[in-house]
Amino acid sequence: MAQAAIKDTSVEAFEKKQEWWWAAEKKRSGRLDYLRKAIWKKGAIGGLYAPGVKVDLERAKLTTQKAKELEASPDPYVIKFAKMFAHVLDNKSIFITDRAQLVGYTGSLPHTMAWDPSCASILNEEAFNDPTAIPDPVEENQQVIRDINNYWIGKSDLDKMMPVFDMEDLMKMLSGSIGWGVPLARGGYSNKDYEYIMTGKRAFEDVIKELDKKIDETDIAVHQPGADASIASMYDKLNNWEAMKITLEAGIRIAKRYARLARIIAESLEDDPQRKEELLKIAETCERVPAKPPRTLQESFQYDIFIQMMSRTEAIEGAWPARPDYYHGPYYDKDVNINKTLTKEEALDLVGEFMIRAAEVCQFKPKWSREGLQGIDGTWVWTMGGVDAKGRDACNDLTIAFMQAARLVRVANPTFAFRWHPKVSDEVMREIFECIRQGLGYPAIRHDPVLIANSMHWHGHPIEEARLWVHQACLSPCPTTKKGYQPMRMANATANCAKIIEYVFTSGFDPVVNMQVGAETPDVTTLDNFEEFFAAWTEQMKTIFSILVRAVNRARMLAPTLTPRPFLSAISERSIESGLDTCEPSIARGNAWVTAFTWVENIDSLAAVKKLIYEEKKYTMGELKEALSKNWEGYEEMRLDFVRNAPKWGNDDDYVDDIMLRCLDTVAKFSKELKCPSGNNWPILPENVSGNIHYANIVGALPNGRRLGDALYDGGISPGPGLDKSGPTAVLKSCGKIDHITGGRAFLLNQRLSPTQLAGEKGYQLWRAYMRTWADLGIDHIQFNMVDDKTLRTAQKDPEKYQEVIVRVAGYSAHFVDISRKTQDNIIQRTVQGLG
Amino acid sequence: MTTCQECKRFFPVEEDPAHGDCVQRVVDPRQAYYMAKSVKAEDDAGACDSFQKREQ
Repeated sequence: MAQAAIKDTSVEAFEKKQEWWWAAEKKRSGRLDYLRKAIWKKGAIGGLYAPGVKVDLERAKLTTQKAKELEASPDPYVIKFAKMFAHVLDNKSIFITDRAQLVGYTGSLPHTMAWDPSCASILNEEAFNDPTAIPDPVEENQQVIRDINNYWIGKSDLDKMMPVFDMEDLMKMLSGSIGWGVPLARGGYSNKDYEYIMTGKRAFEDVIKELDKKIDETDIAVHQPGADASIASMYDKLNNWEAMKITLEAGIRIAKRYARLARIIAESLEDDPQRKEELLKIAETCERVPAKPPRTLQESFQYDIFIQMMSRTEAIEGAWPARPDYYHGPYYDKDVNINKTLTKEEALDLVGEFMIRAAEVCQFKPKWSREGLQGIDGTWVWTMGGVDAKGRDACNDLTIAFMQAARLVRVANPTFAFRWHPKVSDEVMREIFECIRQGLGYPAIRHDPVLIANSMHWHGHPIEEARLWVHQACLSPCPTTKKGYQPMRMANATANCAKIIEYVFTSGFDPVVNMQVGAETPDVTTLDNFEEFFAAWTEQMKTIFSILVRAVNRARMLAPTLTPRPFLSAISERSIESGLDTCEPSIARGNAWVTAFTWVENIDSLAAVKKLIYEEKKYTMGELKEALSKNWEGYEEMRLDFVRNAPKWGNDDDYVDDIMLRCLDTVAKFSKELKCPSGNNWPILPENVSGNIHYANIVGALPNGRRLGDALYDGGISPGPGLDKSGPTAVLKSCGKIDHITGGRAFLLNQRLSPTQLAGEKGYQLWRAYMRTWADLGIDHIQFNMVDDKTLRTAQKDPEKYQEVIVRVAGYSAHFVDISRKTQDNIIQRTVQGLG
Repeated sequence: MTTCQECKRFFPVEEDPAHGDCVQRVVDPRQAYYMAKSVKAEDDAGACDSFQKREQ
């Protein structure tokens, strides 16, 4: 009888088979293994939340309860809002997971998604209409949600703002055809003034002292003999400062609640002496921070988690701008290298847990947002490496520890983006490569010198501030400084750019939403030459961008009064100093950008029109218009001609690459005409998250041969899947023709590499050579998928066995099994580039 | 009326014994944890499923 083969389950065997997830499970500590498996998966799968994950009704009830109680109060809104915030922190349930050393979560329980009903009634209705996410008993809780929703109709942020927007712009934007998101200061991507609050110079008690001083001085000033406009404005400042103080005091109190819970468990409920000691350490940590500045790595991480938790109690934050190796690095150095109070292994446990705490964060979001960010809750792109304010290499031992921890915990969110510069050591580059080689899809690599120059060019950030940048969302740099940090990037300035070229053929009429959205440019058949065609394209581009930008500008102007952020203001130097809400445009430099989804379709389509219609005259414009209106049905031969015989971006072909440059140049000029309320520019930033799938059924047929329903291209400047036929260097050469400083704010480039080819030292050297070409060409971004087709196709067939396979989608990573089949196929279709 | 302070899960705040935490052990499908909820000592615990009489 044949004996069954004994399966080798050693780390080495798993690594040899490139089953990195099983190897990681064996390599990480028992604590990390427990905590990693304890995460409730919160990213939506196909737009729906995973079984067992539920909307958190507790927070919604607390907010509503306090709002009702304050209705008759004479307090100004900002004070009321701060009191609602404090009420939530004082009364929400808190928990400490077994084996955890770090605490704090946005919801009340681990499986819940925080839901803030004061943001938008359209979000509240989604909570009501999503029975899979409503906790049991569903019927009873549906009534609870109904009652909460009824209360907030007309009172939520968006409900208050909508009547004061331009209704025509708003309808076009909310139609979902050209934009993505809503213009709210409490819903989007919040950077932080980390230089003020995260450098160890001060913490909440210090800021409260400063606020008390401001309040006392101003109170005296307003009661001195005399009266003028400056005194009249001081009353609002007093209210803002008071509201900031309320939020900070509540922040200290909730930390003390965690400390108290840890002590109760240690002293009354826990038998294990080692765990008791850990719990007392948690108690000591939470008694220290955020009241006082951290002293240790654990306190520093805990301080950061509390700040993130509070900021996410105040607003729905879809991103996580952070630079953890830079701000926590000194504590790692102190604990591990100088005082030796932590071993490297103990520190690695803390680093891994810090990532896990972020991975579990979730706030209930609308379905369009879940579809656009498949498999994750938001884009937690943490910035690593880079230079300090003086231009010196900022990489440290914690940079390396984060790379090592990432390979152990293998979470898809947060991911890292590494600021490469010429002074980065080989040791650090090897750690980065190892993360990519092991299939994490991150770090993405950013060209620091190019992006620092880019920040100075587009937004006028002084060099010392430009060097202190983090990713505000997936890609856009933003300084973490007093005037440079942007408090809220509203997601709706995200243009579905494929509509630009589509509208040229429909004179701005959108057949999907059945309304006039774009400009009424002349009938496309009357455009006699490419110049006239390009002028129509330009008109559509300007119209779409303007609609989106106008809405954001309006929301930003209204934010300080209608949607204040007292907590975010309380950790912002400019607000402490001025008494103004941190969203007040006059105290910020401005760092706006238009995210350009589905951008490259324009380039390939323009090239096809130029060549096949205007130059070769192979088809008439009337024929093309007819074919597109029929979604190419009955025109398959013609469609294939447009796919195969028109030049495509990414092949180092000047014909089409020049069109890319012309389009970017045209947009760049217009970007300087568009101004944010701080008076700064609105450059574009081509990237996609998973918008290329979300918009597949919204964008009609295009001249690049795409049909309605086909996935759009996956990256900001990535060639279409399978259309880059000239090799990896040609892709880089095409992308390198763009001026990554003046051409736009940033450009996303996805590349797929072969894990087999890049194995071992030879593989590393091949990659380094490739990266040298990338750096020499001055390309600002690149990210890699390094999982082979075989693994991905097997994962499609047997998803249960491949739960831990991670892929780079666009500006973020996700577990392969958590993204839609269409997105999975789109990733497999990307060309695997052979190097060397 | 049965009140929270009679429950062994109630832990009063030292400086303010009228308030306290209801601390419970929870084991969900993925993890085990202790949770705390702010309660008042005099809150009605008559309908509370988790109530456990404190031993004298």
